[in-house]
Amino acid sequence: MSDKTILQQIEEGYQGVGRKDSHYISAKEGRIISRTNSRIISRLEKNKKRKADESEYTTEMRDPNNIVEFDNLHTYFFTDSGVVKSVDGVSFEIPQGSVVGVVGESGCGKSVTSLSLMQLVQAPQGQIVEGSIRFQTSDFVYGEDGKPIPIYEYAKDENGNTLTDEKGEPVVLTRPVTDKKGNVKKDKNGEPVMEKVQAVDENGFPAFEREPKTYDVAKMPTSQMRKIRGKEIAMIFQEPMTSLNPVFTVGNQMDEVVLLHVPGATRESAKARSIEMLRLVGIAEGEMVYKKYPHELSGGMRQRVMIAMALSCNPRLIIADEPTTALDVTIQAQILELLKNVKEKIHGSIMLITHDLGVIAGMADYVVVMYAGRIVEKGTVEDIFYRPMHPYTVGLQKSKPVVNQKTDWLYSIPGQVPNPIDMPDYCYFKDRCQSCIDACNGDYPPLVQVSDTHFVACYRALSEQKEGKDE
Amino acid sequence: MAKYIIKRILYSILVLLLVSMLIYGLVRLLPNDYVENKLLPMLNQGTVSEDDIQRMKELYGIADNSFGGIVKGYFGWLGNALKGDLGISFKYSEPVAKVIGRSMWVSFIIAVLAYILVYLIAIPLGIKSAVKQYSVLDYSVTTFTMIGISLPGFFLATALIKIFAVDLGWFPQQGLEDATTLNEGFSRFLDQVYHCILPMATLVILSVGGTMRHTRTNTLEVLNADYIRTARAKGLSEKTVVYKHVFRNTMIPMVTMMAGVLPSLFGGAMILENVFSLPGIGKLAYDALVVGDIPFIMGYEMFLAILTVIGTLLSDIAYVLVDPRIKLGK
Repeated sequence: MSDKTILQQIEEGYQGVGRKDSHYISAKEGRIISRTNSRIISRLEKNKKRKADESEYTTEMRDPNNIVEFDNLHTYFFTDSGVVKSVDGVSFEIPQGSVVGVVGESGCGKSVTSLSLMQLVQAPQGQIVEGSIRFQTSDFVYGEDGKPIPIYEYAKDENGNTLTDEKGEPVVLTRPVTDKKGNVKKDKNGEPVMEKVQAVDENGFPAFEREPKTYDVAKMPTSQMRKIRGKEIAMIFQEPMTSLNPVFTVGNQMDEVVLLHVPGATRESAKARSIEMLRLVGIAEGEMVYKKYPHELSGGMRQRVMIAMALSCNPRLIIADEPTTALDVTIQAQILELLKNVKEKIHGSIMLITHDLGVIAGMADYVVVMYAGRIVEKGTVEDIFYRPMHPYTVGLQKSKPVVNQKTDWLYSIPGQVPNPIDMPDYCYFKDRCQSCIDACNGDYPPLVQVSDTHFVACYRALSEQKEGKDE
Repeated sequence: MAKYIIKRILYSILVLLLVSMLIYGLVRLLPNDYVENKLLPMLNQGTVSEDDIQRMKELYGIADNSFGGIVKGYFGWLGNALKGDLGISFKYSEPVAKVIGRSMWVSFIIAVLAYILVYLIAIPLGIKSAVKQYSVLDYSVTTFTMIGISLPGFFLATALIKIFAVDLGWFPQQGLEDATTLNEGFSRFLDQVYHCILPMATLVILSVGGTMRHTRTNTLEVLNADYIRTARAKGLSEKTVVYKHVFRNTMIPMVTMMAGVLPSLFGGAMILENVFSLPGIGKLAYDALVVGDIPFIMGYEMFLAILTVIGTLLSDIAYVLVDPRIKLGK
């Protein structure tokens, strides 16, 4: 049974469900659905709980300049009324040091895509069923004792050259061990006890040996994923008002991340780091905010705290899931400016999820437009804004008010997103599209490359493109 | 906070005054007269006359059942109560305060031990079954606790006596002490604990369900909160997420509920104590109510009212202690 793919298992299990003539589910269908669902869910959950060897989920990046590659990702929700294909075959990549914007209207799978990358999709209903998410990480190198291998400071002479012993090996710098009061610890003979001095990385934390690795998040067991969450990928959520735990102080919640992910971090060093991060996100009175409870801060301040928390382990990727939707416009501008600055400071990438095209235009390098769980268009920000090809992208841009332009009526795309449980087999946008052609009656259009960076899934756009080339 | 507490206490006094009025009025209106109950057989035999009964009633202060008489009786009771004198119980022929003070400890010890057990069992079970919602564990725990909630106390108590005391003979059937042996000191205490096991078990089975359901619902609600997703996004282990981030938030309503338990700790369980013939305050109150012992009923009811008032005050204070968002105003 386990040699079948999940997709096959779904198809087999759901045989006899879904009559086209009725919106209701008969009792028999309901039983089939819940039986199939629980079978698939328990298989996937078991898979996430398994103890896996690292080799099982280590892969290669297609392009080493990318930090994340989504490849044919399918994330489904197994509900009592059927399978909701929230993310249905999504592929795109996030290059190192770039901002990738994901746009689309509510419920089109933007958030679920990002939560899949964190393995935070609401389980047990929500599951990644197919595809892979390759993530490039720099993991610690673990020694034989299972602990990360520290990097030591080497003794240097006056000229800055590393000293070597008789065998030619570099001499490790040592210092006497002191207790909390600063007294030197002595052994039985009265000699001070010496310890090796560990090198410090750019964040002021003890340095450890690291090596680049590529993991497939979709195959990782949750226990392994936890080492990446918060450390390599951090997430900023939509609702700053409810995203912080009301019963713990800001400091307590911030320190937690550092204490968890930085080996050798102490309460003091974690606190210093947290306050430094609060300062980095533009909170002047870091010490004061550190001691406060979330309810004592404003929405903008809380979102800053969330960003500070996300930054505290120097993540390689920050996922910002509509970070400014719940904030007013002036604070929105500040927070976006902050995110931009922060990206440069940590040399990381940002995956920015939003439905606000203005935000995307100002922030992103690449844009992915999603509709009903699939990518309809992707390309650089110029491609999307100056040469949009998919009627949905065009419609989104038209529905944005333009400053200094007088209009009586703000455009809105007619109709609604199709029912997610019972998707049509033609283009999902066809029923709302005002520029359909004959080809649109066929299968769902494939995502086709139209320039070096620009991809689109639309028959009409393709035919126009072809005509353009023919002429 | 001190200001708030003082204000609350002043309010409580007003509440207690109204409660005492209501209870006194109701008790006096009960068609249950202590003197008549006691002297009716003698009256039938002719040993006492109607006049004697009337005289006795006046002596007990329950002769005049008109509105004016009840008001007068109430103020008489209130005046004495304010001086700290709750009167002398008709039935027990002792000062009410003394009877309550003596008998409440039996009820208290049983209740305290039972409630500690209830929380020790119910809270971990509630959290476990919320974390593993719809699992086998969740369904079986829920089913068993629902059985516990649905069983009437007297029935469960009788069933336990039948099985464990009568049939199996593991525990004594009733009472607080073994009358056939003379125990002193520690062995007497052990004997009393031994007698209390069945009543305690009954109490635990009856109340575990409610607390467990409460914990489960709270935990489920907190588990869906945004800040729990944040905690997971930090990379915390599921254990830390549940026992640090979820637990503290689940405990907010639980702690306030615990403070509200105060009256049931001291107030005794009327029906259970009767079934097990325990000389606790609940049984004494029941007996007093049957014969119409007005001073004792008043004393007992006021005792419960005071405990309830203190309990709600304590739960408000407990709220401030567990939830940093709540500050008591002036």
